[in-house]
Amino acid sequence: MIEFENVGLRYGDGPEVLKDVSFSIEPGSFHFLTGPSGSGKTSLLRLLLLSLKPSSGTMSMFGEDITNLKRERLLELRRHIGIVFQEFRLLEHLSTFENVALPLRVLGQSEENYKDNVTELLEWVGLGDRMHAKPALLSGGEKQRAAIARAVIARPEILLADEPTGNVDPALSERLLHLFAELNRMGTTIIVATHELNMLKKFDYPCLQLTENGELNYG
Amino acid sequence: MVELKQQHSKPTPIVPEKSVSGRTLMLLIAIMTFLCAVTLGGVILIQKSALAWSQDVGREVTIQISPVEGELMDANLRLAETIAEATKGVANARALSIEESEDLLKPWLGEGLDLTELNIPRLIIVRLSDPANADLETLENELKIIKGASLDRHDVWRTQLNSMAGTIVFSGVLGLVLIILATLLATVFATRGAMATNREIVDVLHFIGASNRFVAKEFQGRFLKIGFRGALIGAIFALIFFVLMGALSSNILPNSSSEQVSILFGTFSLGIIGIFWILMLVPIIAGLTAFTSRMTVRRFLSQIAW
Repeated sequence: MIEFENVGLRYGDGPEVLKDVSFSIEPGSFHFLTGPSGSGKTSLLRLLLLSLKPSSGTMSMFGEDITNLKRERLLELRRHIGIVFQEFRLLEHLSTFENVALPLRVLGQSEENYKDNVTELLEWVGLGDRMHAKPALLSGGEKQRAAIARAVIARPEILLADEPTGNVDPALSERLLHLFAELNRMGTTIIVATHELNMLKKFDYPCLQLTENGELNYG
Repeated sequence: MVELKQQHSKPTPIVPEKSVSGRTLMLLIAIMTFLCAVTLGGVILIQKSALAWSQDVGREVTIQISPVEGELMDANLRLAETIAEATKGVANARALSIEESEDLLKPWLGEGLDLTELNIPRLIIVRLSDPANADLETLENELKIIKGASLDRHDVWRTQLNSMAGTIVFSGVLGLVLIILATLLATVFATRGAMATNREIVDVLHFIGASNRFVAKEFQGRFLKIGFRGALIGAIFALIFFVLMGALSSNILPNSSSEQVSILFGTFSLGIIGIFWILMLVPIIAGLTAFTSRMTVRRFLSQIAW
């Protein structure tokens, strides 16, 4: 599903952030992505989200060579990927319901079609009674669950999460990871970037480990 | 469920409706549309008046008889009338009385004028039944028997009038184009500002797989609304302006001044065609605003990251 071969990444003329990164990820798997701050976790996630082009090497996803694809095709492929940001990135002027429904709205679905699904998902993540609240009125944990719901509402094949437990307490962190595990059991490929080693110990999933100089160890 | 249905019957626009730049742009478009409409209305009024005036002037010629010592003015006037009425293509000829000549000069020389004290030329208005085929050459030749008589075909006036009207219409159209261009440039800046302000929304939309077309459509929809509202407000104010100006010219100006203004510039009545074109500015400006916004957004999106 995801193949990286000697992928390197640099921003402009700056130093290489990622060096010779090679790995492959099978459909339906669950991986952690770890590494110290500045090791390039977020950059690797942006490559996986197709919002950056590798500076060198080859990268394929969904059976297509990403490096040669046109922008519009990349945007189409991005619809198969869900993303959860550390800072949530919910749209402040939309309600929780509308934020979660946004990917379906982008796909051209009418509210009549997606209303029941969004409501059901919000109840599943425990936000059934908060669906009309704007993000400003949600707690950190509620925002994170809304962001996860938005990431999975369109049933993506791959779910990427960037430090999803960074802004929540340990108990909620564990609940969120159980949520990801549940989604993984339903067939979604999951990659969670985190620097919380406790989580890695509790959940026995393979780990992609970035070193300080941007190289990747698989383990 | 009922509550949900009520709250979500109309989805919130993805690009927030209430933003300072939106209000400012709407005001700017309203002002620009007002200026466009006033220019357009002015051009229509001038063109209408020039056309009507040109047609009026073309339907008549004037015989002017200058006083010549030893000649009898009244006899010459009657002779000239007779010659004119016998000419092919002439409907009738009528010498202006002293009082009528005084009325003509009143706006320029003031009230209480006594022309009998002045040695001024007398005029005969010759109405043409068939301006195209009137035999004015013969009339001009035959008038030579009257000393001091000359025929004014108003050609110089008509040429000057047409060229003046043409220049004003051209200037008006040029002004219109420049105002619309300025509006579009303002829209480009406003769109860029809106894109910068809403960059987070654009990024989130991209991350969840929205195509450039979708993002552009969202912004275009927002700017179409702003453009439509602004243009409608501007057009309505322009129509009110023309109604007020019409009322002012007929009620506030003294009758004689009002008549002269009407003769020179026509009435402030735009007519159905004038109102139609001013109202047509609304969809034209709204559409151009939306189109410019869409193009600016597409350009902006093509320049940002992969």
